[in-house]
Amino acid sequence: MTPLHGYLFVSALLFAVGLAGALTRRNAILVLVGVELMLNAANLNFLAFWRYGPNPEALTGVMFVLFAIAVAAAEAAVGLALVIAIYRHYRSSNVDEAATMKG
Amino acid sequence: MTNGDYYQLLKLLAPEWTVVGTVLAILFADLQFWRNRSVAWRSAGAASILSLGFAAAAGLLIWKRAVTADLLGGTLVLSPTSQYVKLALLGLAIVTAWLCTEGEFTKHVGEFVALIALATAGMMFLVSTENLLMVFVALELVSLSLYVMTAFNKRSPRSAEAALKYFLFGGMAAAFTLFGFSFLYGLTGSIHLPTIAAKISWHAGDPLTLVAIVLVVAGFGFKIAAVPFHLWAPDAYEGAPAPAAAFIASGSKVASFFVLGKLLSVGLPGVGGSGAWKAFSPGWLAVVAILATASMIFGNLAALAQSSLRRLLAYSAIAHAGYALLAIIGGSQPALLYYAITYAVTSVGIFGVVAVVENRTGNEDIAGLAGLRERSFLLSVALSVFVLSLAGVPPLAGFFGKFYAFAAAAKLGSSLGYWWLVALALGASCVSLFYYLQVLKQVWVAPVPEGQGKVAGGWVVSILLALLALAVLVTGAAPELLIRFLK
Repeated sequence: MTPLHGYLFVSALLFAVGLAGALTRRNAILVLVGVELMLNAANLNFLAFWRYGPNPEALTGVMFVLFAIAVAAAEAAVGLALVIAIYRHYRSSNVDEAATMKG
Repeated sequence: MTNGDYYQLLKLLAPEWTVVGTVLAILFADLQFWRNRSVAWRSAGAASILSLGFAAAAGLLIWKRAVTADLLGGTLVLSPTSQYVKLALLGLAIVTAWLCTEGEFTKHVGEFVALIALATAGMMFLVSTENLLMVFVALELVSLSLYVMTAFNKRSPRSAEAALKYFLFGGMAAAFTLFGFSFLYGLTGSIHLPTIAAKISWHAGDPLTLVAIVLVVAGFGFKIAAVPFHLWAPDAYEGAPAPAAAFIASGSKVASFFVLGKLLSVGLPGVGGSGAWKAFSPGWLAVVAILATASMIFGNLAALAQSSLRRLLAYSAIAHAGYALLAIIGGSQPALLYYAITYAVTSVGIFGVVAVVENRTGNEDIAGLAGLRERSFLLSVALSVFVLSLAGVPPLAGFFGKFYAFAAAAKLGSSLGYWWLVALALGASCVSLFYYLQVLKQVWVAPVPEGQGKVAGGWVVSILLALLALAVLVTGAAPELLIRFLK
């Protein structure tokens, strides 16, 4: 097994753990944590492909990861603001409580 | 890269700079000068600034309409088509901004209108790039603006709930997209779409290629609300303030369809596989065909059961995403753009009518439209044009949109392999007539309820709605007027 395979296994595992967390957790903040794990799995992929790819002197992978981290931070900020908005109305950050719309 | 390149970049991005400048101008005017004014005054003021700024940006776009450019390895790719799509996006944003003058859902209208402009800037970047990094960043700029706009009605629990659901699904979709992009980068060593296209065909049939395709299509399937990634749509349409819902249903759809079509046809042409009858082979054509099938069937059937007008529009949007995917399968960019733009014009118009009616009556059900013919003739006619266009009745734009999309899919392949998909789409369109006509029945046949007075929007909104209805009629009666710009 080459190092690249090792990194890809870890990132696939990380993505699966994040997805499982995002789908099963009832607390909105923990769902957000799951989403962040999924994003970081993608970042790990980018870095591994860049490091072991054909031309590591082009910094494409690193650039992508830098931007992805910044975007993930912005997303977390918006997400936490929305959790506060939900908490103001329902006194809870549980996604099951905020389920008044159906159909 | 030399300084000359940067100067050229600045010049080519002049419309985008104008839009971003408009954002700052709106925020400055609202926070500095208008603190003591009424909300109605401030929303009209903010919408006016946005209209002026966007008119200037549109002027720049028209002036430089013949431009073609490809800078920084596909980061900025301009073509006449992308300029015209940006023009459409600016127009949709102007209408959306004026919808804010209908109903006071927030005290912070300046920020709301500024977010509309910010989302528009993201959409403009999204349609003028062939670089995965730029696609991702622009897509997130659009998404994050729309999440916040959805949550803007702080007094309404439904607005917060809709935004949270939209955000959580959207965050997962973004993660799927990014994970898919990372595999595309790993397989080809590039994030430039034409370079990816040249190298990805070496990996056709590779399981990793299929994983990448499925992840990317899943991420974009969320943006265009295709089944099974549609779960956020009905709640977001129902809970969001009317202008936010209008923009989610219009501008966001146009930009997402454009970039999805480009990603698949420019970036992944060699790994399409096939979704033809009895000749399935794995690839994005098969994946998109499955999404289109599920969206058309589920969207239309679920819409039949709705009593809330906004939820009905959401399920109809899901069905329309299925029809538009046929144009992507057919590989016809003019058909896709004609469909997406006319659909966006129609849905922003419907949300305009919905905003006015809800604001005056407080009723969100289809039954709230009862007897609209006597309460506002203009709104009734405009709504009828929009709804009949969605149903695909000639000579309105919706008919030709469907015609071009279905024809593109039917022509693909040697022996009409996609006949099954086209037949399904035609059947689904017939089913959809039922629920669209239910809406019109309320407007034109149902008795006027007791004690309900006239309904009238502000004069700017009324003029804009009349213009939108006219646009649907004219682009339907003479589709060549629009489609020649999209070739």
